[in-house]
Amino acid sequence: MLNFIIRRLLIAIPTILIIILLSFLLMHSAPGGPFSAERSLPAEVLANIEHKYGMDKPVIEQMARYLWGILTEFDFGPSFKYKNQSVNDLIASGFPVTLTYGIWSFIFASLIGVTLGVIAALKHNTWLDYLATGGAIIGSVLPNFVMAPLLVLLFSVYLNWLPGGGWEGGKIQFVILPVIALATSYLAGIARITRSSMLEVLNSNFIRTAKAKGLPNHYIILHHALKPAMLPVLTSLGLSFVGMITGSVIIDQYFSTGGIGQHFVNAALNRDYSVIMGVTILVGSLTILFNLLVEVLYAWIDPRIRY
Amino acid sequence: MYIDNKKVQDLADRLSSSAEIQGRSLWQDARHRFLKNKAAMISLITLTIIVIFSITGSAISPWNFEEIDWDAMSDVPTLGVPSIQSGHYFGTDALGRDLYSRVIQGTQISLMVGLIGSFIAVIVGTLYGATAGYLGGRIDGVMMRTVDILMAIPFMFVLILLMVMFGRSIYMIFIGIGLLSWLDMSRIIRGQTLSLKNKEFIEAAVATGVKPLTIITRHIVPNVLGIVVVYATLLIPGMIMTESFISFLGLGVQEPQTSWGALINEGAKTIQHGTLWQLLFPLSFFIVTLLSFFFIGDGLRDALDPKDR
Amino acid sequence: MKTFPTLFAVFIFSSVLACSAALATAKIHPVTGEALAEDQTFIYRELDEFPSFDPQLIESVSEAAVVRDLFEGLFNQTPEGTLTPAMALRWETNDTKNVYTFYLRQNAKWSNGDPVTAHDFVYAWQRLVDPKLASPYSSYMELMSVKNASDIIKGNKPPSTLGVKAIDDFTFQAELSDSLPYFPTMLTHASTMPVPTKVVEKLGDQWTKPGNMVGNGAYVLTQHVINERLVRVRNPFYWNNENTIIDKVITLIINDDNQAFQRYQANEVDKTDVPTGQYKRQKKQRPDETFSNPRLCSYYYAYNMSKAPYNDIRVRKALSYTIDRDIITKNILAAGQIPAYTFTPGSTANFQVPDVDSAKMDQKQRIAKAKELMAEAGYGPDNPLKPTILYNTSEGHKKIAIAISQMWKQSLGVLATLENQEWKTYVNNRQQGNFEIARASWCGDYNEASTFLDVLRSDSDQNHSHYANSTIDRLLSEAKTMSDPNPNYSRIEEIIAEEAAIAPIYHYTNVIMLKPYVKGWPHQNVENRWYSKNIYITAH
Repeated sequence: MLNFIIRRLLIAIPTILIIILLSFLLMHSAPGGPFSAERSLPAEVLANIEHKYGMDKPVIEQMARYLWGILTEFDFGPSFKYKNQSVNDLIASGFPVTLTYGIWSFIFASLIGVTLGVIAALKHNTWLDYLATGGAIIGSVLPNFVMAPLLVLLFSVYLNWLPGGGWEGGKIQFVILPVIALATSYLAGIARITRSSMLEVLNSNFIRTAKAKGLPNHYIILHHALKPAMLPVLTSLGLSFVGMITGSVIIDQYFSTGGIGQHFVNAALNRDYSVIMGVTILVGSLTILFNLLVEVLYAWIDPRIRY
Repeated sequence: MYIDNKKVQDLADRLSSSAEIQGRSLWQDARHRFLKNKAAMISLITLTIIVIFSITGSAISPWNFEEIDWDAMSDVPTLGVPSIQSGHYFGTDALGRDLYSRVIQGTQISLMVGLIGSFIAVIVGTLYGATAGYLGGRIDGVMMRTVDILMAIPFMFVLILLMVMFGRSIYMIFIGIGLLSWLDMSRIIRGQTLSLKNKEFIEAAVATGVKPLTIITRHIVPNVLGIVVVYATLLIPGMIMTESFISFLGLGVQEPQTSWGALINEGAKTIQHGTLWQLLFPLSFFIVTLLSFFFIGDGLRDALDPKDR
Repeated sequence: MKTFPTLFAVFIFSSVLACSAALATAKIHPVTGEALAEDQTFIYRELDEFPSFDPQLIESVSEAAVVRDLFEGLFNQTPEGTLTPAMALRWETNDTKNVYTFYLRQNAKWSNGDPVTAHDFVYAWQRLVDPKLASPYSSYMELMSVKNASDIIKGNKPPSTLGVKAIDDFTFQAELSDSLPYFPTMLTHASTMPVPTKVVEKLGDQWTKPGNMVGNGAYVLTQHVINERLVRVRNPFYWNNENTIIDKVITLIINDDNQAFQRYQANEVDKTDVPTGQYKRQKKQRPDETFSNPRLCSYYYAYNMSKAPYNDIRVRKALSYTIDRDIITKNILAAGQIPAYTFTPGSTANFQVPDVDSAKMDQKQRIAKAKELMAEAGYGPDNPLKPTILYNTSEGHKKIAIAISQMWKQSLGVLATLENQEWKTYVNNRQQGNFEIARASWCGDYNEASTFLDVLRSDSDQNHSHYANSTIDRLLSEAKTMSDPNPNYSRIEEIIAEEAAIAPIYHYTNVIMLKPYVKGWPHQNVENRWYSKNIYITAH
């Protein structure tokens, strides 16, 4: 097990290097630069700015300096767009926000998703099954950019119960709508996984034995079926992480939560090179970490799996 | 991201272990089971209707998808409402263009993105996975590590950069979405190939001197076809959703062409400005189609799963 | 039992106190006598996060609005757009109008209590051109014609050689390389605002963070959450603090127009922009909250004249004539925008819009003329022109491009291709000349026609059309030193119209929703220079 973790972490190093290299090259081949604006800057002004940010050096040297900064001081450089902010500032301000609503929406999505999945499995191939599965899928295929304005219209404009956006340090009333909007987008995934794994478990021999013993149905489900059926739900941890990051782009845009998602798209559009790099490295490392975590959890819970 | 990989993997294992023994009857049984699955059959019919509509629907519209109705444009909330008289069966968009024709155009584009995107993903994934699995050893190791590395790259970000770099052509969307979704497929196919490799018919082929490439395309790929079909069906909704996200970012297809994502995004902007039809028509098509693909995919999987009999 | 009466007495006493306190703070406006709201917090929406709050580093209108609250330059603008003394109490100039002397207010203080001196102005202005700071707006100092500005930016001379000096602590002098009669009007721009020398030198680029930042404006920065909010509160050291009514200003960053509008409806913001195309509807439903005010900005289509056939006046003119400005302003944007047939907006100070032919014709005549011109140029049904329209991703640009392409198609048989690119790619392609026809817009830096017309000077950095007309160049350089340059400007507009150098489409308006209890908003200010210190919130 330990061996496996170490091996995985060792692979992570070249992986991150490749991510850095790839995004650096992609980024620099995109047309325009961080300082191109509608009013073209006079050549000498542009030269001054590029010199200030070290962009007058060859690309290889820029890249080397950048890597060196990360390795020695964990410094991801200054943002090219937000002149008085460093990439570290931007991430420090945005990431906790994304993480907060991300975690809440995962909890929320798991609770509802698992419930719906279990109901669907127990009432397999009845209208209740179709309703639960269909409902969950509709919730998740309804694009976030439709869901978000609908929620705001309902809860903020008409009912006036919740604020339509903002974060204010994560007060509960500001967290609710983003969490609902985000959770619905991967709730269906969890419900579907739960449903199919529950079906499998219900057909297995040990459940049949339990039934034969005359144990009450709800007892069997709660004490025997649910736990093994939950195993595959763990995989959705990785899935929900990806959903969280892509979803946060829309969440941040609509709810003005100030999370990391906005930088994800805006940095690419603004050609804010250092922010693109910082965010890509962050998301890449987290993806690796989550995948590893899922695999380890899996092995820990299910003793049959060996690495 | 809506695909339960473990389920697909399980199915793959079962298919490969049973394919040889049962031969043709497996597919017959599967068809039988699929026909009995009500949800899947209804979905299949719905989807067929949508496809036919997207091909022939424009014939009954007096407007084409790019023409502006200058009268309707002057006051869309009242003159642009859905009506039979004006010829705008689904109303008009904010610019006075016929929404019916635009929904048809959007349907074509979105379905194409889904189909071609998942076709690319499946082709690349299958060939890659089969090659890695068949060749094995060092090459396999390198190929699968590459997949591991690619999996850690933030997909959405690469797609955005690609759209930014190469401009917004529809081909770029096909390729971008397709090329970024083959990774899971390749893993499953590799596992399949590993177990097929030791079967007698493959060994016989190797013994008679058939080239590796021919073995992969002639013997391995046909045997993993079932799983490929299921996976491809389940990939399509994700592709369509990714395209809608790209459209939301304003990086989607070029005007006057459109897609479901672009139409829904435009409609969602005006939900409280009295033009709700601009959202509801494209959104209904979008949801119904996606639901259909999910049910068909599930149905196919259940039908092909010999254990569930 | 004994404690009860005591408690009761305390209760009575404290409620009396509370009442009298409430009475004392129930404010009325000192001039208009309107009852003021208890809570003087003004909340407004901004589209994007601010790149900076450093007066010498900012570029955009939205940053400038914040900087105007945090800092104060030599002059402010009145709601009508005229100058009003701020840090400078009075000024004088010599006969050749190339040396300007400003006498500063002696009671002005930085928010840390230090006095604001002429040295701070010298430092700030030198800072603007210093290659080390590399300000994107450094060329503003060149526009202002301050002596040696160009050489300093190029790195040929040190910043200390800039033509500015502090004669004493409260006398600031600027020496120009040319005589520039409108120089003082350029000094309300945020780039020319002073910065606290000591603080900036001590803290470097960290000085603009809340807590560090020291300003001489009516407000100080207290909180900044990236992509969410910005809070600034009253500065007790501000020289005119006692006449300031708004206590706190909050900017909320909301990326989406419709989302912002929803939050306006939910009373979460006091001011927002009207989503594209919704003005008419809102004006009907909320007539006293919906405003459309002229702005010093023009929207136009630029031709790339280095490519055939856009070097042909007939083609350019025909395309321009066929654009029905009334449909675009009345039906697409529908928010009081002004159809444009010339470049400079008519609301520009002292500018006389000349009578150009296209403005006098009706759309039928224009199209008839355009067909003629197009045929002369050799284009017709058998040989249609196939231009590409380049525009950047935005709801409004998209709608306009679609409509124009349809107008061209229906009237002239021109088959345009739409090329929507995201901002940076668009900017890059425009500047590199990779376009045929591109959407463009220009906003005035100061309230004078030259800020627009300079764009068409043959050697201008902004002239991406490769348009060159020696008469225009000559008229522009003459205008720089004329006491009344406006006849020259009108003549230039006539030439632009004759040669269809651009296809002007409309002049912008500021289309805003403002809660009825927010008073003192300078609606008539064409440069949209508003100051939080001048607005107030009435009881509601």
